[in-house]
Amino acid sequence: MNPEDLDRILASEQPLAPSSGFVASVMERALERASAPPLPFPWRRFLFGLLVSLALGGICGWIAVRLPLMDALAGAVGAALAAFADPRLSPALAEAAAALAGTYLVVRLTLGLSGR
Amino acid sequence: MEEDSDLIDVRRVLAGDLGGFEGIVRRWQAPLINLAYRFVRDRERAEDMAQEAFLRIFQQLARFRGDSAFSTWMFSVALNVYRSALRRRAIPAVPLDAIAELVGRSAPQLALEDAEREELVRRAVAGLPPRYRDALTVFYFKEMDLAETARILKVPEGTAKALLHRGRKLLHRTLGGLVSSTPATREAHA
Repeated sequence: MNPEDLDRILASEQPLAPSSGFVASVMERALERASAPPLPFPWRRFLFGLLVSLALGGICGWIAVRLPLMDALAGAVGAALAAFADPRLSPALAEAAAALAGTYLVVRLTLGLSGR
Repeated sequence: MEEDSDLIDVRRVLAGDLGGFEGIVRRWQAPLINLAYRFVRDRERAEDMAQEAFLRIFQQLARFRGDSAFSTWMFSVALNVYRSALRRRAIPAVPLDAIAELVGRSAPQLALEDAEREELVRRAVAGLPPRYRDALTVFYFKEMDLAETARILKVPEGTAKALLHRGRKLLHRTLGGLVSSTPATREAHA
């Protein structure tokens, strides 16, 4: 089988004639959808979700105010930034970044070669 | 002419006259069913999928802005419906022993089994990874019109060409000895 055969086979297919009731069946379902009332807005769920969100927000706010959470968070971020700025850590970070990039490229290449 | 009728019917539906949609379904039922059939090789399932496609088109009709031909937009919507249906239930891949059996036959036998061989090739396309399957199916369904294929797939023409090329290569690999020569380059000239 040559490429022209392949073109011929794939381009020429015996056309199917639709079943006699196809149009009626589609129109019946379209009519059902058109006449169906729109879904009502789920007010109960919305109000319940709103109340839960407000309660959780309030609790979190109270915790943040009562505990020295913000100070602790700022301290942790500061310590992490200082660690990244440490010149002894830079080569290791660069190595890790290069390894990650290399892994990503190998995965992309493999997927490309396997046609996915 | 057909495009004019489509636009008139779209306006009728959007104005609340459902009869306009019947005109669209009548005009496009055969193409949509036939496109679905190329994906699933099963008439009943193709009709179910085409029906779902028409319902989606009906629901999304207000989104048709006229940036492309109505038929292009409609085939794009249908293609999305078919993709979803195939994700839920894919068609079985072509069994390798069926290919091996056909390759092993002598020339007279092959001549007798042309229809079987052709069906096997079409099934192999339907069993390709989705993006190659979609590209090849739409390309041949649209009589090898690369520009229209790209518009329906919503990709640039270059991407469509690449998908067709890789799809053909995969097809050759799948079919092994049944397709002996190198992949065709027709789409390269399209």
